[in-house]
Amino acid sequence: MRLVPIVSRLGAIAVLTAALCGCGGSGVVSRDGTVVGISERDFSIRAPKIVPAGDAVLRVVNRGPDDHELIVVRAEGGSLPMRDDGLTVDEERLEHSEAGVLEPGNPGSVRTIDVHLAPGRYVLLCNMAGHYLGGMRTELVVE
Amino acid sequence: MTRELEPFGGRTRAAVVAILLTFALVSTVSAALSIWTTSRSKDRGTVITVAARQRTLAERYVAEIALARSGETANPGATGRLLVQSANALLDGGPVPAVEGDDDESVLPATSSPRLRAQLLQAQRLVSDLTRTGSAVLAGRPVPTNLTASERLSMTDPVLRLRVLAALTSNVSLDATRTIASGTDRNIRDLITLQVGLGAGGLVVSLLLAWALIAATRRQTAHFRSLVTSSTDLVAVLGDSGCRYVSDSVVSSLGRSRDELTGAGFLGFVHDEDRPALEQALADGGATTLEFRLQNALGAWRHVEAHLTDLRSDRHVRGVVVNARDITDRVALQKELSRQAQRDNFGTQLVEALEMADEERATYEVVERAMAEVSATAPMELLLSDSSRANLEQAAVNAAGAPGCPVQSPFSCVAVRRGNPVVFESSEALNACPKLRDRPEGPCSAVCVPVGFMGRALGVLHATGPANRPLDANQVAQLTTLATQAGARIGTVRAFERTQLQASTDGLTGLINRRALEQELRDLLKLGQPFALVVADLDRFKQLNDRHGHEAGDRALRVFAQTAEHALRDGDLIARWGGEEFILTLPGLDAHAALPVIGRIRAALAQAHTGGHPPFTASFGVTDTSAGETLEELLRLADLGLYASKQGGRDRATIGEPPTDGPALAAVAAPDRASGRNGARKRPAIQDAAREDDPEPRGAEIR
Repeated sequence: MRLVPIVSRLGAIAVLTAALCGCGGSGVVSRDGTVVGISERDFSIRAPKIVPAGDAVLRVVNRGPDDHELIVVRAEGGSLPMRDDGLTVDEERLEHSEAGVLEPGNPGSVRTIDVHLAPGRYVLLCNMAGHYLGGMRTELVVE
Repeated sequence: MTRELEPFGGRTRAAVVAILLTFALVSTVSAALSIWTTSRSKDRGTVITVAARQRTLAERYVAEIALARSGETANPGATGRLLVQSANALLDGGPVPAVEGDDDESVLPATSSPRLRAQLLQAQRLVSDLTRTGSAVLAGRPVPTNLTASERLSMTDPVLRLRVLAALTSNVSLDATRTIASGTDRNIRDLITLQVGLGAGGLVVSLLLAWALIAATRRQTAHFRSLVTSSTDLVAVLGDSGCRYVSDSVVSSLGRSRDELTGAGFLGFVHDEDRPALEQALADGGATTLEFRLQNALGAWRHVEAHLTDLRSDRHVRGVVVNARDITDRVALQKELSRQAQRDNFGTQLVEALEMADEERATYEVVERAMAEVSATAPMELLLSDSSRANLEQAAVNAAGAPGCPVQSPFSCVAVRRGNPVVFESSEALNACPKLRDRPEGPCSAVCVPVGFMGRALGVLHATGPANRPLDANQVAQLTTLATQAGARIGTVRAFERTQLQASTDGLTGLINRRALEQELRDLLKLGQPFALVVADLDRFKQLNDRHGHEAGDRALRVFAQTAEHALRDGDLIARWGGEEFILTLPGLDAHAALPVIGRIRAALAQAHTGGHPPFTASFGVTDTSAGETLEELLRLADLGLYASKQGGRDRATIGEPPTDGPALAAVAAPDRASGRNGARKRPAIQDAAREDDPEPRGAEIR
């Protein structure tokens, strides 16, 4: 029957297309590295607890309703230093430990940032005024 | 289904209307959008102010709480209420109270954008958490932990909690402000895009419509051009400097080139007689209709009827538009009709004139006058045959002269033989009548029309003209009419004269009879013409009849008639009066002068007595007009003379004298027995008395 080869061919095309798109959840390895899905909202950040070391693409979705940024800081134990206002993390003092910074984005935006993650412990945070203290921080372990 | 051609159709108008409508629509939509966007931006401005104010108010609230806790004068409660009211108004619309020393109270619209609503809702929750925490701090109560905006505050310091909540409130308010601003920006961007799109769309539509308009105009122009160029009407535009335009129909109908006709050339082709009128009409301007002639390439004149329209003030035309049509055929027809009428008139007059001509000579005069009417210059003649129908003689001649055709007899004439008019263009042509050649006037043209009556040829009407220029068709037609009518009249007159002759002639002798003679004599007397009157009577005629028979008597009568007629002069008349009595009239002679004539008759009678028949003599009574005034008187005197001759022995002539005495007088007085025998006229009894003795044989009297 001629129908069978057509159906099987269509199936093969569908599988191939899905693979090439690279649309997968967290931990899917693409050509540029591990894609890490991160979701921000008022006032929390959701991310995998553990990601493999090396190059990674952080795919950040802002679910709003506020604008949010994402700062990836290597933080080996203890809390982060605060600025004098007492409301924001002192980024200048963390300059050497920053793995990546994503500037504030609108609610609904999906953005990516390429980072190189050395094994260790990292903190993901939003440093908009009050957001860090309001709950927008999470820890990430790179192995 | 055929579509009507509408040179002035609404397509152009529709295109123009569509263009205007498009522009109106685009402009209206554009204006409406601008107004709508502007009004939205105005509301947005107020909303932004209030939203931005929330940041300040949140920070002020925290500062006022700190002040209040340290015992300073502050009213954080009012600021907190203001925060809550503003947050509610920003979300769901409504009045916003004024801030003392800052701005006025205002009313906000409800927010509909989902993203902005989410932010404002978050702001409302945060304000609620802030003010609840603030109230707890001021009242010295434990801070609430049941926070509503998903914030997770881990610190226990109530002031830090307040500051974090205030920062969050401030942040979300800023975000809301940005969202509103970016929404406004987007609106304006959209508006600009829409305006550009509308403008571009309107432009495209207008260009399409303009193209349609141009196409429609072109089509119309083509319609008009085809109407003008394919029309048989002649169209020309005459400007100040000559002809500016001529239609194809002018070019084709005149056979002249456009270059010849345009410019100053046009008026040159107008007939000299018509040009002033046309130039006047052009100078006057205004609508007018006139006829003029144009010369075509062959040199022939075309009559045109033109309508002039002055469009010199129209800058697209700058001239007088001449709409003309060729009426040459109509003019020719009118001319032909007027010629026809002229001919008819000629024919009518001719018939009337001929009716009044009661003899041939008068008919010829009418013919001559008619000839002059046909042409005063062409030589013309009417050649008619005599009664023998053998010889043609000139009967009538035009005043301009006679062509002098040498034709001898009717049937030598080709026109008579054909029975139809013949026109010879030139006497030199091969097919010309040979009788036209070698005439003294040289080469000529000729028209020959047969003249006849009741199918019998009477002659020919002949006219000549210059060679190759014969009389025109109209003149030929008139000559034909003349020939027909004259032929009919001449035939009629001849027949009438013949009848007349028969009625007035004595059948035996061929002499005129008594009635005809009486008429002649009365005419002569009326005219006062002197003449001699002779009464002749054959001697012993009764005896001759009785002895030799009536044939001998008749023969004697015929012999006398012929003999007497022979002896008479031209103009003398002899008539048989009745029986054996004859009357001779000799104009211009008196009684004595008549005697020698009678002598010749008597001598001739004596000579004529030959053959087997007996000889006879005649007695004569003579008188003349000097002796009496009336016919009766003259006849009585002549009778007296005859009586005397009889008495005197017969075979003699006696001049009748009025009786003065003796038996003659008595005889005159005797009873009249002759009236019964001789008819109406009274005869003197004397004659009868003399004849009483005729039967008696008196041979001695015969000499």
